[in-house]
Amino acid sequence: MSPTLSAIIILIVMVLAYVLAKVFKVSTELSLFLAAVAGALVGGYGLPVRHLAEGAITYLDICLIFLTATLFMNLLKAAGGVAFAVRSILKKFHGQKFILFLLLVLLLLIPGALTGAGSVTVLITGSLVAVVLKYTGLSDLRVAAIIFLIAGLSAAAPPVSLWAMLTAAGINMPYVGFFLPLLLPCLIGSLLTIFILGWKAKPVNLEKALEEIPSPPEKMSWWRLLLPFLVFLALVIAGRVFPFNFPILGLPLIFALSAGVTVASSPVKINVWKTSLQTAEQLLPLVGTLTCVGILVQIMTLTGVRGLISVSVVTLPVAAVIASLFLTLPFSEAVLMWGAAPVLGVPLALLFNTRGLDPVVALAGMSLIWPLGDALPPTAIIGRLTVDTVGVKENYSKFLKACLVPAIIIALMGTLMVIFSKKLSFLTIF
Amino acid sequence: MKDAIQLRKLILTAGFILLFLLSGLDFYHSRHLKEPVVVGEGIAEVKRLSDYFPGIKGSINDAQVYLLRNDQAEVEGGSALILGGSHAEEPAGRLATWVIVENAKVTAGRVFVILTANPSASTATRLGGAYPPDYTIETPWGERKFRQGDRWSNPLDQWPDPEVYIHYPSRQQLAYMDIRNQNRTWPGRRSGTMTEQTCYAMTQMIIKEKIDLVIDLHEAELQYPVISTIVAHPKGEDLAALASMMISAEEDFDIGVEYSPEALRGLSHREIGDHTPAIPLLLETPEPFLDATRGRTDRELLLTGKDDFVMKAGKHGLLFEKLDESGWPIDVRVGRHLSSLIQIFRVWTELYPERQIKIENVPHYSEVIATGTGFYLKDPSKAPAERIFYE
Repeated sequence: MSPTLSAIIILIVMVLAYVLAKVFKVSTELSLFLAAVAGALVGGYGLPVRHLAEGAITYLDICLIFLTATLFMNLLKAAGGVAFAVRSILKKFHGQKFILFLLLVLLLLIPGALTGAGSVTVLITGSLVAVVLKYTGLSDLRVAAIIFLIAGLSAAAPPVSLWAMLTAAGINMPYVGFFLPLLLPCLIGSLLTIFILGWKAKPVNLEKALEEIPSPPEKMSWWRLLLPFLVFLALVIAGRVFPFNFPILGLPLIFALSAGVTVASSPVKINVWKTSLQTAEQLLPLVGTLTCVGILVQIMTLTGVRGLISVSVVTLPVAAVIASLFLTLPFSEAVLMWGAAPVLGVPLALLFNTRGLDPVVALAGMSLIWPLGDALPPTAIIGRLTVDTVGVKENYSKFLKACLVPAIIIALMGTLMVIFSKKLSFLTIF
Repeated sequence: MKDAIQLRKLILTAGFILLFLLSGLDFYHSRHLKEPVVVGEGIAEVKRLSDYFPGIKGSINDAQVYLLRNDQAEVEGGSALILGGSHAEEPAGRLATWVIVENAKVTAGRVFVILTANPSASTATRLGGAYPPDYTIETPWGERKFRQGDRWSNPLDQWPDPEVYIHYPSRQQLAYMDIRNQNRTWPGRRSGTMTEQTCYAMTQMIIKEKIDLVIDLHEAELQYPVISTIVAHPKGEDLAALASMMISAEEDFDIGVEYSPEALRGLSHREIGDHTPAIPLLLETPEPFLDATRGRTDRELLLTGKDDFVMKAGKHGLLFEKLDESGWPIDVRVGRHLSSLIQIFRVWTELYPERQIKIENVPHYSEVIATGTGFYLKDPSKAPAERIFYE
């Protein structure tokens, strides 16, 4: 049997196993796991325990970031910090939509830009911004769409853009020259998103809003609220400014330390154990999905299915590859998450390079499109996280529909950056 | 209902524990697989990196340094360092150094050889990469088993990674996991991470031993433009160009020359040249196993270099090296490294007769193709105990 036919058969079996599991109402994460096991069995590897275990820890670091960042936010909420912040922002800017939106975009862009993870944006500032936006009369769906799309752009924004970094590392290209090609479209895309989806926003009825928002503890103040964030920022910045003198803490520990400061500076006593258990329960589906996606990618690689998908995409005519980026990049992200960068990003970047495009600008353009896939099944990690954080009650497909118009604009911007990468290469100055 | 849920949880937990134990045993065996080295008569001494930088003593990366020296040589000559396993997932470099340490002799100068420049990386396989844990090389007396390894140091030895890796001393921002990539951490940092300290120890060795020439052996995916080539620091441009000509003229293959870009920091071919008196060269052979479009990821692909999917990418002009049905077998890749080394030393000796380095008993490319790499690996069971070392 030819390698192509073998990989196609394994792929079909994996898809069938996934669909069958879903028909029997098995959870997404277990369905992914069963698809991987089916692939390994048909591929002739039996039950490859080493590969299952290795795949399961592929995204361990990201899981730890999710857990510690969410614990941080939940503790802040329990301390009354979230309610305090929302009330304060509303009191100050409730009548100035333009300034309010600008501030909210900045609030959303910073955490993801610093960490490279859209989920961190959703968890750290997304929940705060969501409450403010809801009081402007926007529907939960639109609020969730705004937060999801800007969180995605924040992850693509410099200085840390994991898709660009992973792809650049895969082709031994220095991660240099990306700052403006990433920053400008991320800023423009974020502003377009909030103004398009929020154009119906009304001035907030302050009295009514304040009545509905729970009152924070009496002793809650700006310094108690900001101190944990300042500690977080200080630790991140210290690592950047003094990289050779400051110990490497890693994002999970930085979030855990910030959580510790939240507890210490809280005006009320927090039940840390209970909040930790709630956080673990809240994130169980997310962590489970990430674990099983890792296993799936490992088995796809083992059996040649990953190669089949990669080579099928990169051997299409260049025009077709570019024209289909708006589909292939989000879809690969939906299946592989950041794994899409080494699997698809590397061959695409090499393809564009060999065809005379500017690899830095083209890769920056692709990095804009990738995060859109974080809302798509089977993983839909960030999308689901956003919907949960905002408290959307409607069907998930309605959330996707709400994202559609700005998502098309963002995909178009990214695609145009790839096409005109050579002309935009003046942006790669630092 | 509650009982059913409890039972399901119990079964899943038991299944997880079983998976944990079985895979744990597998990982334990891989990490502790001993790779014997039967040192040849040319080896005068076996040192460790901690002899040059005590800070690395006790670390898994306190690599062994094999010294080829001829105490009866009439000419003192120069010194060279050959690095295998900077990226442990590139086996041709490691195997080439094995062949040298088990067979070679020097008649002038000294040659230091490190078989596993990043031992930690040789104990892990890539997450999501589905690498086999090891591979075997057939020999006339049986098999030799080697660890597969990864590009990056094992997270068990160096963790966590920063959000972004800032290279020392250039402060260039690199991908976060490259802080565990030994070919991104040169010239190293005394108080740095384990990987940085390993490079620091090697830099100290280069300076203290007055090494003139460093040759770092690598392999590359065929979709990577720097392939089948010698990457040379500006100080070594003439040497690399002449060696490339000699290889094309005298061996049965061609090899190109690339110049180390100044903007790409942390690589051996750039930083060793900038921070020590030595001339660094980096050799790349093709390894289809590393290509992102590869098919089944197994030992066969690793050793034969045959892959239909990568070939298909080649037919669409996406490769920087040819790939046909004959693939890129491990013997071809090892042979290319060995012949390149032979020719580089010849050219070096012609260019710098006062610092000459003469090496013999190293098989040429054509010989490795004819007999196989395993032909040059010695049987540890028949070797005296004092000549056996373990990587």
